Amino acid sequence: MRATRWVLGSAALVAVPWIAAAVVPGQQRYVLHVLIFTVLYGALALSYDLVVGHVGSLSLAHPAFFGLGAYTLALLATEARWPFAFALPAGIALAAVVALAVGVPMFRLTEHSFAMGTLGFAIATQVVATNWVDFTHGPLCVTGIPKPQVGALRIATLPAFYWMGLGALALVALLYRGLTTFRLGRAFHAVRDNETLAAAASIDPLRYRMLAFVIGGGVAGGIGALYVSYVGVLCPGELTVSLSVNLLVMVFLGGVGSLRGVLVGAAAFTALPEILRMAPTWRMVIYGLLLLVIVIRAPDGLEGLMRRASSRRRRPASSGA
Amino acid sequence: MALFETRGLTKRFLGVTAVDAVDLTVEAGELVSLIGPNGSGKTTLFNCVTGYLAPDEGRVTFQGRDVTGVAAHRIARLGIGRTFQLVSVFPRLSALENLLTFLQQHQEESLVGRLVRAPRVRRLEAAAVERARSLLDSVGLGARAEAPAGTLSYGQRKLLAFAAALMPDPDLLLLDEPAAAVNPTMIEQMKAQIRALHRQGKTVLLVEHNMDVVMDISQRVIVLDHGQKIAEGPPEVVRRDPKVVEAYFGR
Repeated sequence: MRATRWVLGSAALVAVPWIAAAVVPGQQRYVLHVLIFTVLYGALALSYDLVVGHVGSLSLAHPAFFGLGAYTLALLATEARWPFAFALPAGIALAAVVALAVGVPMFRLTEHSFAMGTLGFAIATQVVATNWVDFTHGPLCVTGIPKPQVGALRIATLPAFYWMGLGALALVALLYRGLTTFRLGRAFHAVRDNETLAAAASIDPLRYRMLAFVIGGGVAGGIGALYVSYVGVLCPGELTVSLSVNLLVMVFLGGVGSLRGVLVGAAAFTALPEILRMAPTWRMVIYGLLLLVIVIRAPDGLEGLMRRASSRRRRPASSGA
Repeated sequence: MALFETRGLTKRFLGVTAVDAVDLTVEAGELVSLIGPNGSGKTTLFNCVTGYLAPDEGRVTFQGRDVTGVAAHRIARLGIGRTFQLVSVFPRLSALENLLTFLQQHQEESLVGRLVRAPRVRRLEAAAVERARSLLDSVGLGARAEAPAGTLSYGQRKLLAFAAALMPDPDLLLLDEPAAAVNPTMIEQMKAQIRALHRQGKTVLLVEHNMDVVMDISQRVIVLDHGQKIAEGPPEVVRRDPKVVEAYFGR
């Protein structure tokens, strides 16, 4: 039953380009474009939740890692003519190495200071991207980033990008599951919930915080690289603090520390403003109000709402049996 | 050679000497109590020997090895388990998961093995769950294994913290006031647990205010006052020591 649902769900996700073509023939390009953003944002939000949700460190450095991966791929692909298959891992590796170097001093800071420190790092990265014109082209942006090509496989069409994004999301979701369950997951949650007691359980808090931070940073770099290879242009504006805010909204809207919650949050966050385009004037007002309602009515996010709804559905059934 | 030893252990806070040149020895298999009036430095001493505070002077040795100033998670890995005075459990994890958390660093498991759920990883997990369940049964929490630790009563959480500390099978167990703020039935249960440990040959160092518990179960009692060791010996001797009486009741 569960397995069948799983297979059907995956098949439906893979078939989305055809479904879109059949259901909204005129709009399928637009729908696919929104969906590509949704899957990429979903993967990015999962990598962010590793740090914020599972080890409980409020990092605001995520845009910097996203940007490092994006700039690495953009510059290697345009200036150095590196193939995608080398530029993507380079982007992931650079973001992870920088996360390692930045994490060691940052994790000496606690709570608010950690948030401030990582925010400072994110801003500094954006300032460098904007002002080091000789290297990053600054506000002139990196343009003409080639479409990914691996061997004979060329990713150029919207459905191809969608499948690429979906594949990346599946990989990140697997990694997320692997890291947040059983032994590793327990260590993450122990560090998040009670650092003192975690140490008494032989768990080195710094080690696990770093593990989540570095893997989260590396994944963000990889998603950044995929993102620019889809969009084709990279400007310093992509690295602003507002990306952190967006990620925070997705994670908290959906449900901190929950795979399903974060994905639902990312989908709601990217799809909702688009759906609301039907009412252009009131779009952002309605959007803001919806966020407020969710935060007030469901402080544990959409995941909490879904869990309560399904237990309510189950309870009458089990009491009748 | 003693299992555990401090020599001249000293800790000062802003000019106040909380632990003052304390020499303390625990032999393997002993059940020793550390007592003293409030503020006499018992918990500070515990924190100094378990890596939560760095002592200003003195040495801590465990199994012949100098462990002075070693980080808390390393001390735990070397085989010193401890509980905390205020109940300390992971409230969002179930009772069972709380125990599993305490075992994990003692299991070798690679990230790749974890991601692909290698058979070895499954076997380790199954063995850990089995051990955790039997420990929960032994403290009478078997029926609450799946309950989030935060939903247990105060006394149950204390028993859970105690069981968790036993999970990695430590060579030395430091218990910080296991009977404090616990109802009389639970105190009897706790006493029985500690006695059972002692019978199994475990080494226990206990900080406790409840004199009934201390006098009842300890082989040897060490008394601290104002950070200094003022008396040491079998419970019935220490109980009549004029210095101890004075420290507790004044002159």
